[in-house]
Amino acid sequence: MDFKKGIVFLSVFLFAFILKAQDAAAVTFEMKLSKSKLGLNERLRVDFTMNKDGDNFNPPDFAGFRVLMGPSQAISSSWINGVRSYSKSYSYTLAPTAKGKFTINQATIVIGGKTYKSLPENIEVTAAVDKPSDQMTADDVADENLHLVAEVSKTDPYMNEAITVVYKLYVSPSISVSNYQPLDNPKYNNFWSQDIKVTSLNAQNGTFKGKPYRFVILKRVVLYPQKSGKLEIEPLSLDVTVDVPTSKRDFFGGRVYAQTNKTVSAGNRTIDVKPLPLKNQPVNFNGAVGDFDFSVTTSKTSLNATESLQAVVEVTGKGNLKLFKLPELDLPSSLEVYEPEFTEGVRTTLSGMQGKVSNSYTVVPAFRGKYPLPSIPFSFFNPKTETYTTLNSEEIVINVLEGPSSATTNSAVTGLNKQNVIAVNSQFNFIKLNADLSPIGSTYFFTSNRFYLFLLAPLLFIPIAILFRKKRDAIASDVIGNKVKKANRLARRYLSKAKKELGNKDSFYVALEKALHNYLKAKLKIETSEFSKDKISELLLQKNVDEASVTGFVALLKNCEAARYSPFSDVQMQQDYEKASEVISLIDKQV
Amino acid sequence: MVKNSIVIFLLFLGLICNAQSSALFDQATAAYNDGAYEKAIDFYKTIMDSGEHSAALYYNLGNSYYKLNDIPNSIYFYEKALLLAPNDSEILNNLGYAQQMTLDAIETLPETGLSRLYKKTTATLSFDQWAYLGVGFMFLFVILYILFYYFQYSSRKRWAFIASLVSLTIAVITLLFAYIQYSDYKANRPAIIFADEIGIQAEPNTSSTEVFVLHAGTKVQVLEELNDWQKIRLADGKTGWVSSIHLKLLKDF
Repeated sequence: MDFKKGIVFLSVFLFAFILKAQDAAAVTFEMKLSKSKLGLNERLRVDFTMNKDGDNFNPPDFAGFRVLMGPSQAISSSWINGVRSYSKSYSYTLAPTAKGKFTINQATIVIGGKTYKSLPENIEVTAAVDKPSDQMTADDVADENLHLVAEVSKTDPYMNEAITVVYKLYVSPSISVSNYQPLDNPKYNNFWSQDIKVTSLNAQNGTFKGKPYRFVILKRVVLYPQKSGKLEIEPLSLDVTVDVPTSKRDFFGGRVYAQTNKTVSAGNRTIDVKPLPLKNQPVNFNGAVGDFDFSVTTSKTSLNATESLQAVVEVTGKGNLKLFKLPELDLPSSLEVYEPEFTEGVRTTLSGMQGKVSNSYTVVPAFRGKYPLPSIPFSFFNPKTETYTTLNSEEIVINVLEGPSSATTNSAVTGLNKQNVIAVNSQFNFIKLNADLSPIGSTYFFTSNRFYLFLLAPLLFIPIAILFRKKRDAIASDVIGNKVKKANRLARRYLSKAKKELGNKDSFYVALEKALHNYLKAKLKIETSEFSKDKISELLLQKNVDEASVTGFVALLKNCEAARYSPFSDVQMQQDYEKASEVISLIDKQV
Repeated sequence: MVKNSIVIFLLFLGLICNAQSSALFDQATAAYNDGAYEKAIDFYKTIMDSGEHSAALYYNLGNSYYKLNDIPNSIYFYEKALLLAPNDSEILNNLGYAQQMTLDAIETLPETGLSRLYKKTTATLSFDQWAYLGVGFMFLFVILYILFYYFQYSSRKRWAFIASLVSLTIAVITLLFAYIQYSDYKANRPAIIFADEIGIQAEPNTSSTEVFVLHAGTKVQVLEELNDWQKIRLADGKTGWVSSIHLKLLKDF
């Protein structure tokens, strides 16, 4: 076996001599250990590799180990696209001599006149293991060389913030995978999940725990946590068929591979979901997390009644688009609105959902007028800036130009006959041109003092009228009193002038005489001022006036004449006045 | 002398004020016609500040706010105009337009036939008009009664008596109507919601549960008050409490 290896090495070595040494950019010299922890019954392989040929290789002393084999040299050199790559290595196989921690010290080499040193490394030697690596079964090798890893993009996301889980199967270059099938697909409890299909398996090169591996992405999931707190992601288990090289070799020196089935699972992962901050949380917040744009648009802003228009409430951006309710459109109750039509155009990628969701309302106005669609708010939490943002849509006014008008929906009218009182063709009226102003602060007639006065005062007239009537009846029934009253009245009528002149002799008797004649004129309808006293007494007697009254009347007339030429006292004047009234009333009764 | 001149001066001032107000009103009309609704509103408000009002003034303010799409204000002033001129068809028409813009749809409670009839009857005249009518019939009653007392023939006496009793009955009924109208008017304390959207609480505090939500422009009846909270009732009979900053009473004159 070693002989064969030697031949291979030698031939490569000779070939390397043919090639001219080329100058590499940097010189490396390093030590590689096959493992850093081994059992007492295991072996360790140490390689010192350099990328340029050197002299004076000086290995370390390998304290605690026994050199089983080595140093053996290997050289490889290749030309790829005109670039030469070269590597030379010295290999040792060591067996530990005791348990404990050991250090493999530096090795030195001179390359191009300079001395290079490798880095020392620590090695832990434990008690003897059951299965030394050189006796490992195919299963054990597969165990060591096959790893399923769940990579979580963020372990402390906010609620409803997208996280991705990528399942990678790491395969060491020494084994090969021929087939796999998932045993158990994890359920993501308390998460909204979306699987991103892996269409083709591409092997890529990567490192796993510092060693070169090939890996393949098997499954990608976008998760939106729906609950705060510690949430567990169930592991994914796979059944993998692997080909493991054995220590056996076939006739041509190639390794014989053994096939084995292996169950691998990604470990449980715990995600610590942070609740959304309550501080400054808007009232209308409905769980949108991400970065969005918000708009309300209408297909037209002026139309005729019974035509329809579309009002669209739309949210675009990145975030949990499928996981929140769109804000509802507030429409005037007088508009006919149908159930909104929900449309979504959302793509889910590794970074989460993006696209747009929209609600499209069909609105049919029935009456002429203006209908404002008030601005509605939409709030979301941006996990990047860790703040809430509120966007307000613009207010839109829909003008309905033609159609019936819904006049007089006054509160006095009940809801049922609301539709019946539509006055067709009534316009929105112009302002009134007559100011007709009155001072603010009106006083009411009802319950005012004036009201009570006007209401109750007329009632007083009833007793007054009754009293008046009674009085009149009483007066009518009193005969003597009436006569006296009449005489007085007559005297007042005819002798008022004479009474005024009482005391003034001349004018009193002139007035008295005139009054007596006036009386006769009124009573007999005869002008008597030119008549003689005899004629007057004759006339009166004809009217059946008694003698005494006639002589009294004539005596008065005589007195009036006599008074013009003789002195008369005030007392006599008074007597004549009283006599005149007495005579007049006496005659009046008889005529 | 000094007193007299002061009185004359005040009279003149009143005249000047009146002239100023009508000039402002005309200016406002011109501004409205030009589409300068905000300017028109300023003019109208100046007239109101000077202590004068009218149904026309409130109606024009309502129109101006309607043109500016200010729903609560336009409904508020239309309703105010209706308080002064309850059956004006123009105001009712434009109020209908403004009410189309409100968000709340409130079904009014159906009234029984009897109460509707009685409401309809009492509402044909204002309580002041009823009162004047009652006073008139009282006068008629007194005159007829006195005539009855004075008439000599029994047939006339009978007619006068019957007529007087009829007018007395009418007077009592009209006064009853006036009283009903008056108490209705006193109990009626309408208000307009001004907040864009406001939750109505079950109790007069912020910690109580929200019963329902109202939007700007809705007319409510104020029933009671506690601190800064007012108990309101909707046309459909729902009641709740709302902070008084969110509504404006119509009867502030």
